[in-house]
Amino acid sequence: MARKKGSWGKKQRAVIVTGVRTPFVKAFGKFLELDSIDLADIAVKSLLERTDLPHEEIDSIVWGGVILPSLAPNIAREVALDLRLPASVEGMTCTRACASGLQAVTLAAAAIERGEADVVIAGGSDSTSNAPLNLPQKAVHALAPLAFGKATPGDYLGVLSQMMPITDILPKMPKIAERTTGEVMGESAESMARRNEITRQAQDHFAERSHHRAAAAIASGRFDDEVTAVEASGGWVYADNIVRGDTTLEKLSKLRPVFAKDGTVTAGNASPLTDGAAAVLLMSEEKARALGYKPLAAFRSWAYVGVDPADQLLIGPALAMPKALDRAGMELKDMSVVDMHEAFAAQVLSVTKALASKGFAEMRLGRSQPVGEIDEDDFNIYGGSLSIGHPFGATGARMVTTMANELASTGKETALLGICAAGGLGAAAVLEAVD
Amino acid sequence: MTDLLLENQNARKLIKTLGLPIPVPEKLARAKGPYEERPLDDKKVLVCGAGGLQTTLAQILTKAGANPWVVGDTDAVLEPFIGPGEAWARTPHWVRTGDAPEGERIDAIVFDGTGLESPDDLRQVYDFMHPWIRRLNRSGRVVVIGRPAADAKKPARAAARAGLEGFTRSLAKEIGANGTVANSVFVEEGAESRLGPVLRFLLSPRSAFISCQPFHVTKLAKGDEAPDTHVLGGKVALVTGAARGIGEATAELLAAEGAHVVCLDRPADDAPCSKVAQRIGGSVLLVDITDEDAPARIANELKERFGGVDVVVHNAGVTRDKTLGRMKPDAWDMAVDINLGAVIRITDRLLEDEVLRPGGRIVCLSSVSGIAGNRGQTNYSASKAGIVGFVEALAPRVAKKGITANAIAPGFIETRLTSAMPVAIREVARRMSAVGQGGKPEDVGQAITFLATPGAVGVTGATVRVCGGALIGA
Repeated sequence: MARKKGSWGKKQRAVIVTGVRTPFVKAFGKFLELDSIDLADIAVKSLLERTDLPHEEIDSIVWGGVILPSLAPNIAREVALDLRLPASVEGMTCTRACASGLQAVTLAAAAIERGEADVVIAGGSDSTSNAPLNLPQKAVHALAPLAFGKATPGDYLGVLSQMMPITDILPKMPKIAERTTGEVMGESAESMARRNEITRQAQDHFAERSHHRAAAAIASGRFDDEVTAVEASGGWVYADNIVRGDTTLEKLSKLRPVFAKDGTVTAGNASPLTDGAAAVLLMSEEKARALGYKPLAAFRSWAYVGVDPADQLLIGPALAMPKALDRAGMELKDMSVVDMHEAFAAQVLSVTKALASKGFAEMRLGRSQPVGEIDEDDFNIYGGSLSIGHPFGATGARMVTTMANELASTGKETALLGICAAGGLGAAAVLEAVD
Repeated sequence: MTDLLLENQNARKLIKTLGLPIPVPEKLARAKGPYEERPLDDKKVLVCGAGGLQTTLAQILTKAGANPWVVGDTDAVLEPFIGPGEAWARTPHWVRTGDAPEGERIDAIVFDGTGLESPDDLRQVYDFMHPWIRRLNRSGRVVVIGRPAADAKKPARAAARAGLEGFTRSLAKEIGANGTVANSVFVEEGAESRLGPVLRFLLSPRSAFISCQPFHVTKLAKGDEAPDTHVLGGKVALVTGAARGIGEATAELLAAEGAHVVCLDRPADDAPCSKVAQRIGGSVLLVDITDEDAPARIANELKERFGGVDVVVHNAGVTRDKTLGRMKPDAWDMAVDINLGAVIRITDRLLEDEVLRPGGRIVCLSSVSGIAGNRGQTNYSASKAGIVGFVEALAPRVAKKGITANAIAPGFIETRLTSAMPVAIREVARRMSAVGQGGKPEDVGQAITFLATPGAVGVTGATVRVCGGALIGA
């Protein structure tokens, strides 16, 4: 057999060929019985069907997830096996909180750019509905003698005696809290709203716009090419079900703050727990053209940053986006369109405020001028995580898909992506159109 | 012996309930863990005064995590705070001069008095602070900033500047019962960029037991940008007398900032000294500092094992108390030689052999009794006052190499030494300060650690008292 060196070490351009996602569905709802791997299977399968991609061309799968299935955390490999792809299709799973999906996609792009692979499927999925309820370590340790070897009646008594008080051994509800600070993410958003003086009204207004834009996109069929119908136990699911096109500022303003008595963050201006998956097909440009695909877009740059999670947990994009722009050799004003993950309206507005601030530019970025103001008409033009939903690992791949399609279908030149993530992480990328 | 009024909750309650005329001291808030990115996280800091430091202060305070409340006649005073406020999400608030909105409390006051021209201008401190001074939270901070009186070309201007120091000392004594400390900072023209670390220290809980002190920030010693955290990363520090007390506390704090600490003590203290070194991941050096070959041995060891040293803390010291008439000559010799002679011999050797690296820090231990004088301590006071003169003269000689030399003068600190004092004297000594209590070895350690940091480059030739604003001494 001839040894194949492939493109190893060859510098080549990575392009986005296509992307597809499941509908994004409210947690503990229609996708209750589909876990992260099932959702990933569905998205990747649909991607393969839509592209008629010969399976033997696939080099690998890179997947992103946040709540990983503890018994099979390498979702990427499970997908390859579930879909009976050739055994040679290797897989790895990465996690970078809410930026996991973008991380998977940029890992794939990086692998292609350095000639490590020519065809990679990347994406992410999460099923909040199937988050495992962990037993507290105390109970796990107490039960160990029963799980290993033959237990004597004395062992059982010993185990029982360690199980008090009962509240110590009951499973704890999972919550999105920072491990180092113990702060729940909504509290972080609340504090960012207070410190950046983002009013309740501004947040609700932003949320309203997000819903209206997402609803309009769905109604116009804008997402038809990138969303696949899913057969769940309760029947077929065709579209995102969190979007409320009929919501109004008035309705939103009636909701009670969740994280602080006199707070401003409500269920209406925060992203909801969501189940879903998104997949992106990346190839070397040469390969794509050889196989007869027309690339949608390519990465011009990306950047990941970290900030102190005890300060402003979700401000990361305000540092990551200028960094990605610098690496692309571009300015904010050069961007045709900007898409930012909407964890909370308060977080998005804090980030845009920082980007527009001269003080922030001078003291945090070492620039003499602000990064710039983002034109409302070019910003999250089809809504975002507030309205579409936010399956943690899938969001990045959803954004890449929507923006790549936008560049390919409208003649726009460039798109800037920004994502905030737990742990004080920020992510950004610049996409460019491909002729 | 613990401080009953401080540690015993029942005693505290009883005194308060019975209304006994015994002032119950406030338990001081102290820093936990190493230097932080934002030592003033979420603290409300009142900024007042009409000097030219507003932009500098805005940058320092917002970056350190403080929420600035700016006092002035119009909201134009907010201007310099807006940019930095946006950068760190610390929106400034304006309060009208003379107003203190009902119910508002603050954590610290920073007064910029660099614009004072004449004694009439001193009225500003009254106008700005009067409405707010009783609104300070417990363990609060007051920092009064001015220009050095000696640099003033007009005597009237010098008078106004010098007035700030007296004001601060008296104020410190009024607000000490609240656990609040007040200090003044005199910043030389052109040394403003060196203010940051000084303010971060003085406004943080690290300065819990420092009160009534004037700090001079100068351009004298050469220095570059300094880190805010892990401030001694990659540095080698020598601490003499590291086996216990202040030396031990200092060694721990220096190590927590990333320094490799060489713990030096007498061979007889091998066990406790090794224990400290082991706990903090440092090294042991057993030397009797009065030995003739001690300076050479120390210099050689530091050079050979560590390639040099960056921080030298001369902490080892003894007392041999007797009134002068009753004092034996060897008691005199011992105290003066250990406390002063050995310090100078070792320092000279480290400098001559260039074992102390450029940017180095020398911190010597003086004592409040060295400054104020104390019956039965002629030998001790001579040695400790000698230290004050030593660092003052040394500072300009080593400044070109970026080296600073300072002294720390502890007041009443709860150590093995003071717990051996007679009860009545100890009790009086404890209360004889603005904060009405003794300090802890870590309080002295914090001051030493601060002077050991690269950021403290503006402070040299100084003697900083860590005495809680002791009523004796200047």
